[in-house]
Amino acid sequence: MSREIEASRYRANDGVEYLRVGMAEVEGVVEDMTKAGTRLADLFGSMEDEELVIRLVYGREPEPSYAVVQWPVRGGGYPPLSEVAPAAFVEECEIYEQFGLKCSGAKGLNRLVVPPHAAPDFPRLAHRPGRQAPPPHAPHYVTGEAIEFPVGPVRGVGQESLYMGLVTSGEELIDLYLMVWHKHRGIERRLQQLRPQQALFLVERAEGLSAVGNSWAFCRAVESITDVMVPEAVERTRAVALEFERIYNHAASLAALCQATSLTVGQAQAEVALEELLRLNAAAFGHRYLFGVLAPGGVTRGPDVGVIRERFTMAVDELRRVAAALRSTNSFMDRVEVCGVVSIDDARRLGLVGPVARGSGQDLDTRRDHPYGAYRDCRVEVPVRTAGDCLARMEVILAEVETSAALVTELVQAGLRAGSVDLPPAAGAALGWCESPRGESLVWVSLDREGRIRRARLRPASARNWRAFDDAARSRNVFTDIPIIEASFWLTVAGFAR
Amino acid sequence: MQSLFGRSLHIRTIDTGSCAVCESEIRLLAAPHYDLHRLGFFFTPSPRHADLLLVTGPAVRAFDQAVKKTYLAMPEPKIVVAVGACPLGGVYSEDAFVHGSLEEVLPVDVFIPGCPPSPLALLQGLLVAVGRLAEKVDALSFVDDEAGTGEW
Amino acid sequence: MAVWFLRGLRRGVITTRYPKAIDSWTASLPTPPAFDARRLTPAVADRLVDVCPSGALIRDYEWLVLDLGACTACGRCIAVSRGVARSSGAFELSTTERGRLIKRIRLRDDVR
Ligand code: SF4
Ligand code: SF4
Repeated sequence: MSREIEASRYRANDGVEYLRVGMAEVEGVVEDMTKAGTRLADLFGSMEDEELVIRLVYGREPEPSYAVVQWPVRGGGYPPLSEVAPAAFVEECEIYEQFGLKCSGAKGLNRLVVPPHAAPDFPRLAHRPGRQAPPPHAPHYVTGEAIEFPVGPVRGVGQESLYMGLVTSGEELIDLYLMVWHKHRGIERRLQQLRPQQALFLVERAEGLSAVGNSWAFCRAVESITDVMVPEAVERTRAVALEFERIYNHAASLAALCQATSLTVGQAQAEVALEELLRLNAAAFGHRYLFGVLAPGGVTRGPDVGVIRERFTMAVDELRRVAAALRSTNSFMDRVEVCGVVSIDDARRLGLVGPVARGSGQDLDTRRDHPYGAYRDCRVEVPVRTAGDCLARMEVILAEVETSAALVTELVQAGLRAGSVDLPPAAGAALGWCESPRGESLVWVSLDREGRIRRARLRPASARNWRAFDDAARSRNVFTDIPIIEASFWLTVAGFAR
Repeated sequence: MQSLFGRSLHIRTIDTGSCAVCESEIRLLAAPHYDLHRLGFFFTPSPRHADLLLVTGPAVRAFDQAVKKTYLAMPEPKIVVAVGACPLGGVYSEDAFVHGSLEEVLPVDVFIPGCPPSPLALLQGLLVAVGRLAEKVDALSFVDDEAGTGEW
Repeated sequence: MAVWFLRGLRRGVITTRYPKAIDSWTASLPTPPAFDARRLTPAVADRLVDVCPSGALIRDYEWLVLDLGACTACGRCIAVSRGVARSSGAFELSTTERGRLIKRIRLRDDVR
């Protein structure tokens, strides 16, 4: 019954249109969407009244709306969507792992979060015993004398665990695949049955470097369901927190780029800027990584506007000086140029988001394309580059630091406030979105009649963008480029593995 | 312990399911603001040269093997430091995915609370680990006690 | 490259003097709660326990047990305590004994 509520309520409210189709129509709908160039943003399953429902989320930019196509799976299988929409492949693997459902005629599916040595009772979102786990990775069509060169999962100092399988013929990088099961904490499963207020704690910690971005998307979904209006000054406070998050992440990415190119002095200076920004986060919002700032219905901690006025420009200037110095360091520029190219076609085909997409010519930014909260009243400039290399991504993030800085000034001027609205109990489901530092973060939430979470789907930008990593790594076949590419993508394993 | 680690000390890190923020704080230890090297600590990418293992995350079960291997590869004597609320059980309770406490997997020598522990808290933990700084938490009171009812 | 060299000179000034001195900015770090014993009744304690997402607060009869190891310094207990809990300001919590992170706080009798 609650599905009826969601349909009637959010179509008008939210810019989300729900399309209910039958199994037979799915393929046609997907084909039409793909032909029309509509961007596939997510694909996920959900158990509802003992029935598996699959949803496709499309972003209809430049139209400010999302479309959610949903259908109940009856009688096993569904059409292989990745054949028409390659962006769906990772999620097809996920649905197989979590729900035991394969699309018809599926070829090799990759392992995502279920460990290779998992027992049959390894917990999944809806366990269907008796199915075989997928092989560790898709079969590689390797000819000649190729070897697999494993990197990780335990990696360098202060790096997240990640397994990279590099398949090489000695010179040429034939394939690169990632495994992230060692970071899977089953967060989506843990969220079930929690109240939104409790759930937020874990949503923030799913990917701590996007705590604000992901939790804002989550809050928006919950606020849509409960029909809560957050006061404008509170929405502005959220936006300031989000722009702070973006700026510190971009500083961190820059520091990582310097480290990957062995530019120690640049790394040190970028880290000085990063540390100043983190201290500003703490002084203004009470947490270096902005945990606990957002809450469903509002904001728990008000920012110290005096501190922002006094120190924000100084901290950003520090970062600007690093950027200027980097631009005049030829040895650095040589390393990032033509390195790790993601073509414009790949970026579209794989449905990339955020700075990675914008460095490859995709003019996408939910703050502008699907305005929400305080961004409804702001003009958001979206920097785009077309070269698709590490340099292009770096230019995008540097330009974004400027747009974020301008936004912060504008938002602070308009006035900030803390406070939150109590959520009335309500059942239903809704989609929330937010432009996290890594790009579009999507959260789909379904609440039961007691206001507890039935299903929360978290789709951080990291879950999207890793799929372009192997293409970027193969673009020039230089192994030492891989850390540089990783730094310029600036994704987290935590967000991918959840 | 003090005598064993009078010389410079090498640190290795391992992530058992963190949210990536504890890693960020660890990396900053080497940044100019904290300059870990001035205190005689150095990061090393190889477990074979490491004296001290910084562990983040709630100890994902699937990762036990790798964690143990890393630990075993370290030469004696070795110190294990649990970094943050995750390995101390404050973020994920024990379930089929995680142990929820690092002590289930490795013998832990030093615990550094915080979510995340700030770089200064990490420095304190490192200095406590090598016996160069006395720990403070025993003496800290978490109650304003005028009536004399008492903390225990 | 001169541009980097000049900037490098600032290093000495910004490096923390810890452990000789504690940086003043640490005052804005989130820290575990400290309690006002006079107002910490069982009713208040239960409210705090209820709101803690980390399992760091547990009620043990007439005691409130605070586990500083599990505490994420999220501030939720402080927010609902109406002044009974405040931020302790303590961040140097490292220890070699897990047990030292467990603090037991006597609750005030509810009578009167
Ligand atoms: S302790 Fe907190 S900050 Fe550290 S990894 Fe765990 S959730 Fe993230
Ligand atoms: S600060 Fe948060 S984690 Fe710590 S005791 Fe209070 S509610 Fe629990």
